[in-house]
Amino acid sequence: MLDRLLQLLARGGVRTVADLAAELQTTPELVELMLERLEAEGKLTRVKAACSGACVGCPFKRACAVKLRGMGYAPVSGAGAPGMPDSGHTVG
Amino acid sequence: MLVALAGPPNVGKSTLFNQLTGLRQRVGNWPGKTVEHKEGELNFDGVHIHVADLPGTYSLTSHTPEEQVAREFLLRARPDVVVAVVNAVALERGLYLVSELLLLDPPVVVALNMIDVADASGLKIEPEVMQAACGVPVVPISAANRTGLTELLRTVVRVARDRSGLKPRLPQVRDDHRHVYELVRSVIAEHWTGEYPVEWLTFKFMEGDPEAVAYLQRTLPGAEWRRLSELLREHDDAQVAVASGRYEWIGRLIRAAVVKPQVTRIGVSERIDAWVTHPVLGVLVLGLVLVLIFLVTNLVGVPVQRFLERHVLTGILAFVGRQLVSAPQWVRGLVLDGVLAGAGTVVSFLPVLMVFFGMLAVLEDIGYMARVAFVTDRFMHLLGLHGKSFLPLMLGFGCNVPAVLGTRVVEAGRSRLLTILLAPFVPCTARLAVVSVLAPVYFGAWAPLVATGVVAGSLVMLVGVGMLLNRVMPGQRTALIMELPLYHAPNWHAVLASVWHQSLAFLRKAATVIVLASALVWVLTAFPGPSLDSSYLARFGRAIEPVGRVLGFDWRMAVALLTSVIAKENAVASLAVLLGVSESGLTDAVRSAYGPAQLLAFMFVIVVFIPCVPTLVAIRRESGSWLWSVLGATLMLGVSVVVGAVLFHAARAVTGAN
Repeated sequence: MLDRLLQLLARGGVRTVADLAAELQTTPELVELMLERLEAEGKLTRVKAACSGACVGCPFKRACAVKLRGMGYAPVSGAGAPGMPDSGHTVG
Repeated sequence: MLVALAGPPNVGKSTLFNQLTGLRQRVGNWPGKTVEHKEGELNFDGVHIHVADLPGTYSLTSHTPEEQVAREFLLRARPDVVVAVVNAVALERGLYLVSELLLLDPPVVVALNMIDVADASGLKIEPEVMQAACGVPVVPISAANRTGLTELLRTVVRVARDRSGLKPRLPQVRDDHRHVYELVRSVIAEHWTGEYPVEWLTFKFMEGDPEAVAYLQRTLPGAEWRRLSELLREHDDAQVAVASGRYEWIGRLIRAAVVKPQVTRIGVSERIDAWVTHPVLGVLVLGLVLVLIFLVTNLVGVPVQRFLERHVLTGILAFVGRQLVSAPQWVRGLVLDGVLAGAGTVVSFLPVLMVFFGMLAVLEDIGYMARVAFVTDRFMHLLGLHGKSFLPLMLGFGCNVPAVLGTRVVEAGRSRLLTILLAPFVPCTARLAVVSVLAPVYFGAWAPLVATGVVAGSLVMLVGVGMLLNRVMPGQRTALIMELPLYHAPNWHAVLASVWHQSLAFLRKAATVIVLASALVWVLTAFPGPSLDSSYLARFGRAIEPVGRVLGFDWRMAVALLTSVIAKENAVASLAVLLGVSESGLTDAVRSAYGPAQLLAFMFVIVVFIPCVPTLVAIRRESGSWLWSVLGATLMLGVSVVVGAVLFHAARAVTGAN
């Protein structure tokens, strides 16, 4: 199932966790679990963390209507794009 | 008899441990670790049972001290039975650990905890089906309510005495790697030392587990080891194949055993989302929401603003005028016709903006903004942009400066530069505010539609320019996974706080940048005198007027537009100064000076005009070169002038007036 998730991610585009769950015919919770794993392996990154620095010094920061709350995950470039064979093996 | 309790954190494992052992427990640390070690005893049915409470873990890799401790215990102490405590409300997480436990030697009994909570929330789980699907006993319990504990202990004792009835169904490696699994398994089985279970070693080796790999390297004959590691190098996606097997196993169990999905607010959110995130309907909904924002702003904010403008602002002007009767002419002019007329007019729009900010805050708070992100991202597809590029663009609705800085999430290079160039096309709050202020000045009841049209127009420009740039610098997309928060009623406290901070930030800007710009504009209109028409600014304005005339602008509009580069709100402030609104207020002054086609073009051009100075500086910083700032500014200037001119002439042809 992880492989099918990776295939979906390799196709690109924006999806919700619910979309992914429907496409994989499973529950959103299981999709979350797999996404967390990919994050732990460094293949995905929490998006909010990646762009939190952008608003430093913005006078409207505390009032910004665009909070990007819960934006989810994006692939990490250079960490083996999702869908690519995993290269994280310790063997050899 | 030794029984181990295993399970993820927060599944009620400790509650179960306490219920089982009561006061007969010892708490210490695992040797050499800071991880807590709890052991207890109980007698059941004449059997003396030692219970070890393993640390809470989601899996049995060896990444954390907790996982190491749990894994070591299961491998070394070889308990007679492992009770896998699983939270019925979050089955998936618990089952991942079960998929690991099944590969170990001790027989597994699954304790399906919090079954009462699952029942209450409408989640129906069938333990018998689950038992059949995974091949080990599944006992529904509620540790907190002490239900099912006797049955659990009875099952544990039965399994410990006779495990012959257990046929655990192990996770299967994906089909295309089955032969690799069989090969590795046969090699390991051939040289098996009995220290670790064969299946477990095979799985862990294929997953690249450092300990399993090191162990096999140590114990296998050299030739066999080389064969295995060569095999794994050939199949470098073995890790994914194994993990896939585990998730497939969990998915199968869930599909089989969970009868009714949770019917809570998730269901409601999903039903709403079927409309709101629909490719076509979603865009319509977005348009309607925009109209609604401007409509409410128009209905609630504008009357208050008109009142402030006609009574309070003119009152203040008259009062200050009286105080300054004896002051020199230039001081009166600077204060009354410059600062108060310009910045004062902008401040009088605060009620309009507060309503506007409030609407945005409500939309954010109920969870709609994330859907806007989702809906508009479909257009990123046309632009050949990353899902990731979309995030900074989304930030642009707040302010373009963080949008440009936010492009750091995009890889350097083409995508990043493209995103930087497109970011200023997103109408920021300041520009949305100018539109929400100017639209009612002329268009009355039509203001919400006109304002929405102008905003939609700027987004169409974004997509158009993006498509064009994409032709020049083609690229590819990558994925973005969004978690859409559940809809919920707005938290009014948060909404009010947001309005408050927005208003403060707006006032601060009005008190600094806009006051200075208004004063400067006035100075340039007052000197060298004697009249406005002979001023420096008028001379400059008339010099650029030919360009402005294409757009239907007179020189005052052209000058006001130029001052918007310092801060977008300046367009309103400067226009107020140049129209001499200290007498009549902006609304009347604008109505008597301009026609609808002119104002429509003016609003559109302001939204798509050269980015403000802070944004240009940010572009320089992020792209590393002023060239990109100049390019961006030229691009937007070109688009705004060309499209603004078309808009003006089309509107004039339709309405028959300027």
